Amino acid sequence: MGWRLRLLVLAALLGCLGMFSLVRWVAASGHLDASFEAAADNTLVLTGSPLPALRAARGRTVVALVTPDGTRLALDGLAVQRSPRWQVDDSRRVAQVIEQEQIARTLAGGRVALQFAGGASVEVLTPARGYAGLGLAFWPLAALALLLFLVGTVVVLLRTQPRNLLYMVMAYAQAGTLLFIAIGSVRGLGPPPGAAAAELLPRLAFDLFTVAAAVHSFALYPRRVPGAGVIAAAAWAAAASLLLLAALGVLPAVWWCAQALVLALGVVALLVISASYRIEANPFAAVMRRFGLIAVGTLALVSIAVAAASGQNGVAGLVAAIGPIAWYLFFASLLLLAPFLSHSKQLLREFAMLAGISTIATSLDLLFVAVFSLSQFTSLTLAVFLALGAYAGARQWILNQINGNTVLTTERTFEQLYRVAHEVQEQPAKHALLLGQVLRDLFEPLDVLRVERAAPTARVVGGGSGLVVPVRPARDDAARPPLSLVLRFARRGKRLFTHEDARLADRVVEHLRRAVAYDQAVERGRSEERLRIAQDLHDDIGARLLTLMYKAQSPEMEDYLRHTLLDLKTLTRGLSAAEHRLSHAAAEWKADLTQRLTAAHVQLGWALEYDRDVRLSVVQWSALTRVLRELISNALYHAQASRVDVNFNLAGSRLSLSVADDGSGHDPKSWAHGLGLGGVRKRVKLLGGEVRWRANLPRGIVCEVTVPDFRGKS
Amino acid sequence: MAVKVLILEDNPVARSFLCRVVRESFSDANHITEAGDLETARRHISLAGGASGLHGVDPFRLILVDLELPDGNGMELLAELTHYPATKIVTTLYSDDDHLFPALQRGADGYLLKEDRFEVLVEELQKIVRGQPPLSPAIARRLLTHFRHGSGNDAAPDSGFMNATGFTTSRPVPIEKPLDHERLTPRESEVLTYLSKGFTIKEIASLMGIKWFTVNDHIKSIYKKLNVSSRAEAAVLASKQGLV
Repeated sequence: MGWRLRLLVLAALLGCLGMFSLVRWVAASGHLDASFEAAADNTLVLTGSPLPALRAARGRTVVALVTPDGTRLALDGLAVQRSPRWQVDDSRRVAQVIEQEQIARTLAGGRVALQFAGGASVEVLTPARGYAGLGLAFWPLAALALLLFLVGTVVVLLRTQPRNLLYMVMAYAQAGTLLFIAIGSVRGLGPPPGAAAAELLPRLAFDLFTVAAAVHSFALYPRRVPGAGVIAAAAWAAAASLLLLAALGVLPAVWWCAQALVLALGVVALLVISASYRIEANPFAAVMRRFGLIAVGTLALVSIAVAAASGQNGVAGLVAAIGPIAWYLFFASLLLLAPFLSHSKQLLREFAMLAGISTIATSLDLLFVAVFSLSQFTSLTLAVFLALGAYAGARQWILNQINGNTVLTTERTFEQLYRVAHEVQEQPAKHALLLGQVLRDLFEPLDVLRVERAAPTARVVGGGSGLVVPVRPARDDAARPPLSLVLRFARRGKRLFTHEDARLADRVVEHLRRAVAYDQAVERGRSEERLRIAQDLHDDIGARLLTLMYKAQSPEMEDYLRHTLLDLKTLTRGLSAAEHRLSHAAAEWKADLTQRLTAAHVQLGWALEYDRDVRLSVVQWSALTRVLRELISNALYHAQASRVDVNFNLAGSRLSLSVADDGSGHDPKSWAHGLGLGGVRKRVKLLGGEVRWRANLPRGIVCEVTVPDFRGKS
Repeated sequence: MAVKVLILEDNPVARSFLCRVVRESFSDANHITEAGDLETARRHISLAGGASGLHGVDPFRLILVDLELPDGNGMELLAELTHYPATKIVTTLYSDDDHLFPALQRGADGYLLKEDRFEVLVEELQKIVRGQPPLSPAIARRLLTHFRHGSGNDAAPDSGFMNATGFTTSRPVPIEKPLDHERLTPRESEVLTYLSKGFTIKEIASLMGIKWFTVNDHIKSIYKKLNVSSRAEAAVLASKQGLV
C-alpha cells in the first residue's frame, strides 16, 4: 500500500471519527420538539409540535421559558434566527447569540414550562434529541461536508502542488461551513450549547479563506499572471486583517464589511482569471471564469436579498435564512465538480446546471419577497416559473458553452475523412499533417503540436486542456519514430476536452487508417494487374516481334519492327511504373539517344533545363519518350544528319522541346505525314501542346514542341 | 587456338543472330557452342572443365546467357558460374534494372539488348570484352543506393523509378558499417552519380578532369565491388542457413 493511500485512509478515518463525535455532541443536546416561527413583530409563535401537551397551543405566541427552579427566560424572534454569520445587524447578532446560548442552557435541564402570551403555561420535557432527532437536512449536509473533505484530501494526495493545496483549503473551508449549516438545521428548538457563540468567527474565516484561496489559485493556474505573488499576498492580507479585527471585536458592521470584502475578492478573482485567459486562451480558465461569474453574481444577489430582509421577520426572514444555505450548497457542488471537469459526464453537467438554476430561483424568490413585499406563495410561484423559463431557455446555450456545438455534421466528417484518406494514400508522408487537419476541423484547437511519442489510445491531459492523439500510419514502419499529435485548448480555448472527445479521436484515427489501408489494397491490386498485363505483353508479343525482326526481309522492315518493339517496351514499362522523375527520365533519354547516335556516328548536342524536378505521369513520360525517339529516328534514317541538337526546357508549367538536325530534309510543309510524324502529332496533342517543323539554318530541319500547360505531379 | 564461346538462347533465330554478332565482333577464329536450355548449357560447361573451371583444360572464354529459358532462368546459371573464368554477358529483351541489376550482382560482366541493331550489338560486345561494361542511368542509380545503404537492403527492391518517391532517403542507414570492399571510393561514387544523370563516359572524363579510360577503370571497379559484395552477402546468408 502506497503512502498516499495510507494517508487517504487515515484522513477518511479521522474525518469519520470527527463526524461521529460531532453527531454525538449534537445528539446529546437537549431540545424542545416543536417548531416556532418569528412573527413580523419579532414575537415567537408556536407553529406545530408532535407533543400532545403543545398541540392545543398551536398558533399562540410564546413569551418565555421557565425552568423548574423558577428562572424565567424571555423569548422573542431571535430564538429561531438561523446563523449569526448572516445576521446583518451587529446588536441583533449579539442579542441572538446570548439568547440562543441561554436557551441551550435552559433546555439542558430536561424539563421546562412554556409561558404563552396571556398567562397560560404548559410544562414539557426537553430530553436529549438523540440520533433520530437530528432532522432530515442534517444527514445529507454532513455527508456532503465529509465528501468535500475527502475530495480535497484526495486532490492534494494525488499531486502535492500549490494549486491543489489551495483547492484543499477551499474544500475544507466549505466542508466546515456545511457542518455549521448542518448543526443549524437540527429539528426543534434548542441549538447545541456553544454552537451559536462559536459560529461567527470560524464561518467568517471559512468564507474569507475560500475567496482568498480562489484569488491565489486563479493567479497561479492555469497560467501564472504577472504579479501573482502580490495579488495573492494582498488577498490573504485583506482576509486575515478583517478576520483579526472581527476577532478583536473592533469591527463595526461585521456582516457588511465581510460581504463587501468577499464580493470584492470575488471580483478580483474574476479579473485575475480573465487576465489569465487573455494571456493564454486555456479553456479551463474560460470554464472557471463562467463558474466564478455565476458564483459571485448569485452571492451578490443573496447578499442584497438578505440585507433588504434584515430586521424583518416572518416570511422575509425565513426566506433570507434559506438563501445563504442554498448558495453554499451550490458553491460546494461547484467546488466538487472542479477537479472532474474533463471527466464530467452528462449527469454531472446537468447537476451543475440544475444547482445553478435553483440558486437563481431562490435568489429571485428572496428578491421578490424582500423588495416587492409579495406574499410567500406568489413570490415562490413566480420565482419557480421564472427559473424554469430560464432553465429551458438557457439549457441548450449552457450545454453548448460547455460542450461546444458540434459544427461538423456526421456527413461532413465522413466526407472529409474520405477525402483525407485519399490524400494520405497519395502522400503517405503527410499522414500526420492531414490527420491534424481533420482533428483541427473537429475540435478547433488553438494549437496542434507534434511529439515523437507513442500512445496506445487518445487521452485527455492537463485536466481537459489538451488531447494527445496517436498517429498510426496504415503501413507499420518500424523505422519511423512513433508520433502523436497534441491538441491544445478545444474550440479555440473555450471548451475542455472530455473522454468522449478522446474516444471520437480514436475512432477518427482508426477510420483513417482503415480507409488508407483499403485504398492501398485497391491500388496494389491495380498495379499488380497492370504489371501482369505488362509482363504478358512484353514476354509474348516482344519475343515474337524480336523473331520477326531478325527475319525481316529488308532493313526498312527491320527498323519498323524494331521501332514497334521499342514502343512496346515503352508501353510495358509505363504500365509497370507509376511515375518517373523528370531528371531520371531525362538521364535515360540522354543515355539512350547517345548510344543510338554514337552507333550511327552522329553527334548529339543535349541541353536540358528545368526549374523544378517534377514527377511525370505515365502518360507524360511515355509520350515524351516516344516523341523523342521518333524525332531522332527521323533525323537519323531519313535525313542522314551528322549532328542532332536536343533542347529540353521546362520553365514553370511551360515545356518546350526542340530537336534540330543538319540533315538533308527541307521544306517540311510538303511532307506527307506518315505513321511516324502522325504519331508525334498525336502524342503532343495528348500532352495538350502543339508541334511544328521548320527549316533549320543553314540546313536541316527543326522540330519544335511546346506544351503551354505542362503540369507534373509536383 | 580458337576462342571458345557458349551461347545460351532458346530462340533459334535469335541464337543464329547472336552467332553472327559474335563472329563479326572478333577477328580471331572462334568456336561457338550453342545451347537452347540450361540443361544443355550445364552439360557443355561440365565438359569444358566444370562450373569452377579450375581443372578445365580449355574453358569457355565468353558466355552469352539469355534470362528467360524454357527450363529456368539464366540467372541460376550465372550464380553457378561465379568463379568460372569467362566473360559472362546477359543477352535479354529486358532493359529495366529490375532484371539487369540482379544479373550484374550475380557476376555478369555486361548486358546486351537483343533488339539493338546489329552494328550496335557488335560494338557493345567488343566494348564489354575489352572491359568497358555498360551502365545505364537507372542501373547507376540503383548501384548508388545499393552502396549507400550497404548491401543488406535488396530485400526491398528499389528500382530506378521507385526512387522518385523519395523513400530511400528516409530510410535510416543501417547501424552495421559496410565492409571496406563494399564501399565506393569518392571518385567511384562521383562517376556513378554522373552516370545516373545520363552523362557519357567522355563527358564524365572532362567533368572530372581525368582520362576516359580512368573513368572506365572506375566503372570496372564498381562492377567488381558489386560482385564481391553480393558474393560476401551470399556467403553470410549461406552460413546463417547452415548450408556451409
